[in-house]
Amino acid sequence: MYSPPVYQALLTRRYLTSKVMPLLASLAVVLCTAMVLITWSVMGGFLLNLTQAGRSLIGDVRIAWPNVGFPHYEDLIQRLEEHPEVEAASPIIETFGMITLLENRTEGILIRGIDGESFARVTNYADTLWWKPLDEPMQKDKAGDDVRLEPGDRDLLRRVYDDGLSLTEIDPDTGVRESALVLGIEVGGWNVRTDWGGYYPRVQFITGSDGSSEMQNLFMPAGGELTVLVVPLDSRGRPMEAVTSRLPVANEFESGLYDVDRQTVLMDLKALQRMLRMHPAKRVVRSDRDEADPLGGFFEEDDTANAAPEPEIVEDPGRVTAVLVKQADPDGDVEAFRERCRAIYAEFAADHPDVPGAGSIGVETWEDANRMMIGAVKKETGLVLIIFTFISFTAVFLVFAIFWAMISEKTKDIGVLRALGASRMGVAWVWLRYGLAIGVVGSLFGGLLAWAIVTNINEIHEGIALSGDWLGRNLTGTPWNWYIWDPKVYVFKEIPHSIEPWKAAFVLIGGLVSCLLGALLPAARAARMHPVQALRFE
Amino acid sequence: MSTVTAQTPVPTEPASSGPLLRVAGLHKTYRLGRVDVPVLHGVDIELGRGEWVAILGASGSGKSTLLHLIGGLDRPDKPSGGRPGATIRFESQDVVAFSHAELNRYRCRDVGFVFQFYHLLPELTVTDNVLLGAMIRLGRFGYMSERAALHETAARLLDAFGLKNRLRHKPAQLSGGERQRVAIARALINDPSLLLADEPTGNLDRKTGAAILDVLAEIRRERGQTMLMVTHDPEIAARADRIVELVDGRVAAQKD
Ligand SMILES: Nc1ncnc2c1ncn2[C@@H]1O[C@H](COP(=O)(O)OP(=O)(O)O)[C@@H](O)[C@H]1O
Ligand SMILES: [Mg+2]
Repeated sequence: MYSPPVYQALLTRRYLTSKVMPLLASLAVVLCTAMVLITWSVMGGFLLNLTQAGRSLIGDVRIAWPNVGFPHYEDLIQRLEEHPEVEAASPIIETFGMITLLENRTEGILIRGIDGESFARVTNYADTLWWKPLDEPMQKDKAGDDVRLEPGDRDLLRRVYDDGLSLTEIDPDTGVRESALVLGIEVGGWNVRTDWGGYYPRVQFITGSDGSSEMQNLFMPAGGELTVLVVPLDSRGRPMEAVTSRLPVANEFESGLYDVDRQTVLMDLKALQRMLRMHPAKRVVRSDRDEADPLGGFFEEDDTANAAPEPEIVEDPGRVTAVLVKQADPDGDVEAFRERCRAIYAEFAADHPDVPGAGSIGVETWEDANRMMIGAVKKETGLVLIIFTFISFTAVFLVFAIFWAMISEKTKDIGVLRALGASRMGVAWVWLRYGLAIGVVGSLFGGLLAWAIVTNINEIHEGIALSGDWLGRNLTGTPWNWYIWDPKVYVFKEIPHSIEPWKAAFVLIGGLVSCLLGALLPAARAARMHPVQALRFE
Repeated sequence: MSTVTAQTPVPTEPASSGPLLRVAGLHKTYRLGRVDVPVLHGVDIELGRGEWVAILGASGSGKSTLLHLIGGLDRPDKPSGGRPGATIRFESQDVVAFSHAELNRYRCRDVGFVFQFYHLLPELTVTDNVLLGAMIRLGRFGYMSERAALHETAARLLDAFGLKNRLRHKPAQLSGGERQRVAIARALINDPSLLLADEPTGNLDRKTGAAILDVLAEIRRERGQTMLMVTHDPEIAARADRIVELVDGRVAAQKD
């Protein structure tokens, strides 16, 4: 059995601890591996967040017919849920509306009418509900400042949480359970975001119409009420008169997507259906106007042709704008699942003449719906990685140059080793092992550095921003904004801060291979040296 | 070409069958660009077991070249123009015909080198320098299993050369004479049959050089070590049993 001679390991160890230059090469490897790993982790994490956020918001696939919506969705959901590949399906209405906040500030907003129970099965809705009793502080909340930890508030928070799940609340005056809103946590700016990523309700002085001012604790789920305005469309898509409704706030949600948390209000599906005239209803129809003919009003036909028939009572089924579907296998192929959903919809459409055809209905994954943004991030990640990998070749050249110089310096030693009986390969291995050792040291420390930076990247970012603010104030009198990761720009409020083990392994092995590559030619040169010339070398 | 005169047996030489080393018709030519530089043309030497032979020659006469050829660090000229190839017989082996692997083995086990400029590895301690040859000879497992014994051998050698308290020092912390003694210990670690010394005192002052020669004499007396020493100094050569004079790449004269 071959066992490598001890002198190689010994020399590698001694060179490693006694030479400064190769340690510089190691440092270059540290920086390069760290740089590549950080970029890959943060940008890859961003990409992963994007797709995962999608799953938590719309499930895996959305079958949508916007604005007007489509009927018989209960049947579609039943057909979907009968399929083994489908975990759950949930009806939803997505529409734009207005919301009137405090002091009559009014803002445009995305309103999602959801059925709390099934919505929670398709998305991670329950997790996104912010106000709920907590037993343990969140990971970054080291001081345990989270208001949700208050033992005295447990009952209240438990009730608010349940209300959030059902999107209803008991009216304190009547004792009747009525539909309620669940607001995005950033809507209205009622909550103050802490530096560890939590929220607490703002306390504010409100100036009344009579000029008196009053202190108000803006904990919306406790008695908060807001007015929502939507514009219903008739079945042909024509806007009707706006409808407003004043609803209590049951809870607030935090999806992690800043835009969503800033601009979305959730509402009980049935209540929104009623406001939008999309609820199941009976309707009297005069049959002189053919409902199915959109141009009926323009070409008046000869009235004498058909005599006025009896008025007819039509049952209008409820409608939704989309059905969200969740896949049973969380790691399954989403594209294939989308096609499965499309096929199920086609069967459904074949049985219902009054729903949009299978060819025109929108069946999309989150990635489809956001393909511009996700595609851009994917391309960007790839491009930056390629650039950084190229930059990392400097490490290869650095190792190469330093080793080349070292082998010149160590020519005599190589001659001595050969004179003592070391083989060419043996001498080459001294240098390859040395390169490997530098690679191991460099990659390991690079990995550690990347890990330290990535896991603390939000704190580092905060620190940079604060120091910019401080510097600006002291040097120019105006604070400088050094926030690179502005949540308004980057969708997520936090910079992704985890390293996937396989990526780390890939990059570290890459660093190792680079060092070996750099050491390869110098090692070959050492092996080819003539022992006598090496000994005579001056 | 030149004849080898019969050897006078050295009194201390142990009984043995034939010479340890026989060199005959050794030619070596270096090529400098297009010019051939002949350095050795037809060297013949015999070395008996336990003999201490000095090769005396002016600087540039090809002494080092000869030593490198004998030690298997370089190869003599190939046969050409009707001239037969050189003979280097070590015991019963034909060194000229050795493969690369056999040469490595020969350098490792059969010969030990001592150089004018010591050539210790500066990063290694005195002990590790001495053990280097054993590390090269043995694989990892072999070395590990003999580690204790080898360390003891190294310590004994260094102790004998007055370096008892220097085991953990680096070469840079030693004087020239001490370094050369470490180099001699390194050459002896694998117990070679032949010690080759290339101007071992050439870099030392007279007194220190004399001490090194005392060490060599001691080795020969204690171990019956066969030694081939190269020098340009007749006074130093005189310490050997026999002197072979090298002039213009040939053996000019031999005296006892
Ligand atoms: N690699 C070489 N190429 C050309 N000439 C060489 C080479 N090595 C040695 N020589 C020449 O060979 C001659 C003998 O050198 P060397 O054996 O070192 O002599 P010595 O050891 O007796 O001083 C010198 O003239 C030297 O210049
Ligand atoms: Mg010489």
